[in-house]
Amino acid sequence: MQDWFDVFRSALLRRGVPHATVRQVVEEARAHTGDSGEPPLSAFGGPEAYADAVVASLTPTDPGRTRAPRGDVLLRARGITKRFGRRTVLRDVALDVHAGEVLAIVGANGCGKSTLLKICAGMVSPDSGTVEIAGRVGYCPQDGGTIEFLTADEHFQLVGAGRGLGRADAREHGRTWAGRLDWADPGATQARHLSGGTRQKLNLTMSALSEPDVLLLDEPYQGFDRGTYLNFWDLVWAWRDRGRAVVVVTHLLAELDKVDTVLTLGESR
Amino acid sequence: MRKTWTIAELTVRDVLRRRGVIVLMLLLPTAFYLLRHNDSPGQSVRLLCLGLSWGVSTAGLFVAASARAVEPRLRLSGYATAQLYLGRLCALWTLGFALLVPFAVVVRFDHPWMRPAGIVLAMAFCVLIGAPLGLLIGGLLPRELEGMLLLLIVCALQMMVNPDDLLMEMLPLWSSREIGIWAVDEPDDLGYLLRGVAAGVAWTIALVGLVGGVSAVRLRRRAHVRAL
Amino acid sequence: MDPDRRSQWLRGVLDLCVLGLLADGESYGYELAQALTRAGLGPIQGGTLYPVLLRLERTGLVATDWRAGEAGPARKYYRLTPAGEQTLRAAASDWRGFAGQVGTVLETAVK
Repeated sequence: MQDWFDVFRSALLRRGVPHATVRQVVEEARAHTGDSGEPPLSAFGGPEAYADAVVASLTPTDPGRTRAPRGDVLLRARGITKRFGRRTVLRDVALDVHAGEVLAIVGANGCGKSTLLKICAGMVSPDSGTVEIAGRVGYCPQDGGTIEFLTADEHFQLVGAGRGLGRADAREHGRTWAGRLDWADPGATQARHLSGGTRQKLNLTMSALSEPDVLLLDEPYQGFDRGTYLNFWDLVWAWRDRGRAVVVVTHLLAELDKVDTVLTLGESR
Repeated sequence: MRKTWTIAELTVRDVLRRRGVIVLMLLLPTAFYLLRHNDSPGQSVRLLCLGLSWGVSTAGLFVAASARAVEPRLRLSGYATAQLYLGRLCALWTLGFALLVPFAVVVRFDHPWMRPAGIVLAMAFCVLIGAPLGLLIGGLLPRELEGMLLLLIVCALQMMVNPDDLLMEMLPLWSSREIGIWAVDEPDDLGYLLRGVAAGVAWTIALVGLVGGVSAVRLRRRAHVRAL
Repeated sequence: MDPDRRSQWLRGVLDLCVLGLLADGESYGYELAQALTRAGLGPIQGGTLYPVLLRLERTGLVATDWRAGEAGPARKYYRLTPAGEQTLRAAASDWRGFAGQVGTVLETAVK
């Protein structure tokens, strides 16, 4: 059976409680049961419910999730055309993503979804067309994007330094984001030893850590189990609710109820 | 400054964890040094320099390869291109100079009659030149294997070209060779030293510039992206 | 006393009781729970007490720091802040007034 404290800990992390606070709350609960000799379940109740109570007392009384209204356009693309050799993968594609909006890009394999995202990120040049962006961009690739021989904490340090965070702050922020993806113990494991799903969590955490205004996510949930997959969407909505613009490339049509706008790319266009 | 420092620190960690690269960095100079150790001390020191440079270049190649996937993201998350490549260069130079020390000590005790300053200088240019050379090749060729082959060609040319050939003067490690001649064979002819230093400085500057240029092109802000 | 009613009342004043106990000096969670029991208000479950402490901390009425216990694990010690003292003084007089009014109504009805 899983330890009550472990369940409680990951429940707090998943709710986005900062890593340092989680450590303190768990330690305090542990000290209490140590002193009183009472089992945690009877002292604190179920771990999930107690996590809710803790979160409620940590957050100012602002009932429910308030969603920011759709704001200005943060990402605008016009007339994007891209050819690889003689094959035209993107023809005159346009898109607008507002602050507080989630856009899904869907389409069959090879229809240029990832290419479009890279063009928006400014990593690939189109043959014609323009991309306009307000603020900073974050990009999360389908795979790769990590450094094999560095640990998760070192990745956090690397990305954190980009926005001026010191080592300890970057680690704290990174672990907090990782916790929201149900990854309770990033830390000393090198990226090359992580499973595919966990590596993607690292990738997503890195994107979150740089606090971008426009988030471009290229099917970042590959290898996620069901629970993490739902946490991923919670995270996307949390970004949206904070007024970010989020673009998710996906091939799963069942997800389309989770987004605000859908852009379908197809070769028949 | 902190960003450059972060890149340098994490690059050093990255390299130190690759046991294969570390072994190669140590093994190449050692093997080269032992190859002609008994019959031609001068030659063996020259080969040692070559091996040192090759080892550092190889490390540079791997560093460039592992950076390739993340650098565009790091650019997006607030790094300047110069911070990225200068950080990596500093890391490689640090590692190279750390590697240089034990070999310099060995030569000092092995051949006390050689000029120690000259030996260290010849080795230093191997490190100074080898690091950006590896990064440059890694930046131009996407696959490590191709980079390795190119590095092998440069190294083999360096070893096999006739010393009197004009081509020799155009190879990157000619400087180290000239300084080596001053340190070992022609202690009275300062010309070797001066030519060597001049060539070494020129090559270092040129290679660092090229690495910067290649990075700037690869990580450039694309013309189609504008601020809203 | 009806336990439901009792816990309902307590929920309204537990934070003030905690502030009151801390007026005597700093303390940690389990010690506060025991003190509340001794005062006749217990037993208070950890699941009830700690969220209250967290809220007091967040609103700046108490300050905390971690210290190693004599033998046991590190403990989080709570102490009143100036804002906490002020709140406690104001709440104490409010409570006296409130309890007096409730008392008056109830006693008139019983007579």
